[in-house]
Amino acid sequence: MEDGGAGTSSSIAELSHDHLFSILLRLPLESILSFAMTCKKTITLTRSQTLWKSICARDWGQSTTTTTVNAAASSSSSLEVDWYLFYRRLRNLDRVSCFNLLTTTDDDDDDSSSPTPRASHSLNVLSDGCLVLFGGGCEGGRHLDDTWIAYTDKRRMANWQRVTSGVPSGRFGHSCVVIGSCLVLFAGINDSGIRQNDTWIAQQESSKTLSWRLLDVGPVAPPARGAHACCSIDNRRMLIHGGIGLSGTRLGDTWVLCLSENLCFGTWHETLSHPVPSPRSGHTLTCIGGSRTVLFGGRGMGYEVLNDIWYFDSSEEEWVQVLFELRNIPGGLSLARVGHSATLIPGGRVLIYGGEDSYRHRKDDFWLLDISQRRVWRRLKCEGYQPRSRSFHRASADESGCYLYVFGGMVDGILQPAEPAGLRFDGELFLVDLLV
Amino acid sequence: MTSSKTIVLRSSDGATFEVDEAVALHSLMIKHRIETGGADSTTIDVPEVTGNTLSKVIEYCKKHVEAPNSDDLKSFDTDFVKVDQAVLCHLAKASYYMNIKGLLDLSSKTIADMFKGKTVEQIRETFHIKNDFTPEEEEELRKENSWNLFV
Repeated sequence: MEDGGAGTSSSIAELSHDHLFSILLRLPLESILSFAMTCKKTITLTRSQTLWKSICARDWGQSTTTTTVNAAASSSSSLEVDWYLFYRRLRNLDRVSCFNLLTTTDDDDDDSSSPTPRASHSLNVLSDGCLVLFGGGCEGGRHLDDTWIAYTDKRRMANWQRVTSGVPSGRFGHSCVVIGSCLVLFAGINDSGIRQNDTWIAQQESSKTLSWRLLDVGPVAPPARGAHACCSIDNRRMLIHGGIGLSGTRLGDTWVLCLSENLCFGTWHETLSHPVPSPRSGHTLTCIGGSRTVLFGGRGMGYEVLNDIWYFDSSEEEWVQVLFELRNIPGGLSLARVGHSATLIPGGRVLIYGGEDSYRHRKDDFWLLDISQRRVWRRLKCEGYQPRSRSFHRASADESGCYLYVFGGMVDGILQPAEPAGLRFDGELFLVDLLV
Repeated sequence: MTSSKTIVLRSSDGATFEVDEAVALHSLMIKHRIETGGADSTTIDVPEVTGNTLSKVIEYCKKHVEAPNSDDLKSFDTDFVKVDQAVLCHLAKASYYMNIKGLLDLSSKTIADMFKGKTVEQIRETFHIKNDFTPEEEEELRKENSWNLFV
């Protein structure tokens, strides 16, 4: 950088690169890009991989950045990650790519089959990349009580293994979330129509076993329910909202579960605030960080499909509605959804997929929701394998947040003379890749 | 009674400043020099910093070491960085070299605030950066670097 005229020189040029980068890291993206464009030297300087790797860690999190480094190092091409492009692609995410995973099972397993096609089950990804599937409903309205795990090979193949059966008891419409290193399962409904309010906890004992035990929660627990929304809000707490209760009516209550440090017991408490989202079921809760958990959609008391967005502030324990002018968003007016999936992706954003709309049509679209200052609601293109439209499927992201696994759900049936029209359960496992 | 040992700091242009050891130790770089320099380290050279800047840095360290709990520390800091961009950058550079965390944070934050909300041209003006692009190059650059505006 040269003299700016009148004998004054640019002192900022005297700072070392590391020092300058530490200042740039305090700035929003637009200021970094504006600084970059001031002169030839700054343009070159701000293309530094060191700088953009730090910006990625700042905005996408250390977990995403570290797993990306590891993936690049172990890939066959072993290309260095271009952090500038990586940042830009994730920032302006406008498409996803899907891949159907080849699934196999252990040959010496007696029940050598993949998990039965099902819906309203639970699917989680543990920190070592292990997929865990439990329960759900299948053909004939029957409940399932089996636990399956799978490890994926380069995200193109998965090897399912049945781990246990019978415990917890069979159910669908339950919730299951990862809290720290364990899974916490709550409530659900069985095929006799009985709704529960029990809480279960599971820990991985080895790469092939997982065991469930009933969690002691003391005398206070939320009323029994199914099809509620749930998510973990930090290493120790879980949030639930609504669902369908004992008498078949839709609930609108909010509860928080706090686990003890040794994970041996938990305490539930109800949060009371005003205003609150209306009673509903088949909606989603997604923790986006910064004490905020996003609630979207669902089916209300009058069976109408909802499109409202709220967030729960877990430090104030209150709900705040987020308003979007849907008219101005392409496809926005069709955005009411129930039985969709909502998954956290880097940058505190939510990826919403599938579900049913107000006309009972199953959807196959992907939407990006950002409730930060930028306020984005954007339909994403889908490349590669086109998954069938579905609802009441489950989706869960791996540690990087850039790869989502989706399993099951109800899909449109193939109309053939011998087959019942309309509905069928799906048993495929596919991957949604954000880094196209 | 606290020890009243003093240290002499010598700037790049030969100016010397006598300061209490406690004040000098606020710079981790000087602290390291003293601890590894042996008994004769009563004069420390600071060749990366001019006398003008060093005098200001010492003023900062004095205030923070002698009156760390005073009520006017915040307003002292605010006024301390109300200087032109050249002095501010020299202070930042000195705090980085001399490893004075408080001053480094303060100066970095102040410089960062001077970028916020400014256009490319305004940043050039503030920091006296000469625009060495042709109008065509600038237009190309603007197109290529406006991807943050994607909604």
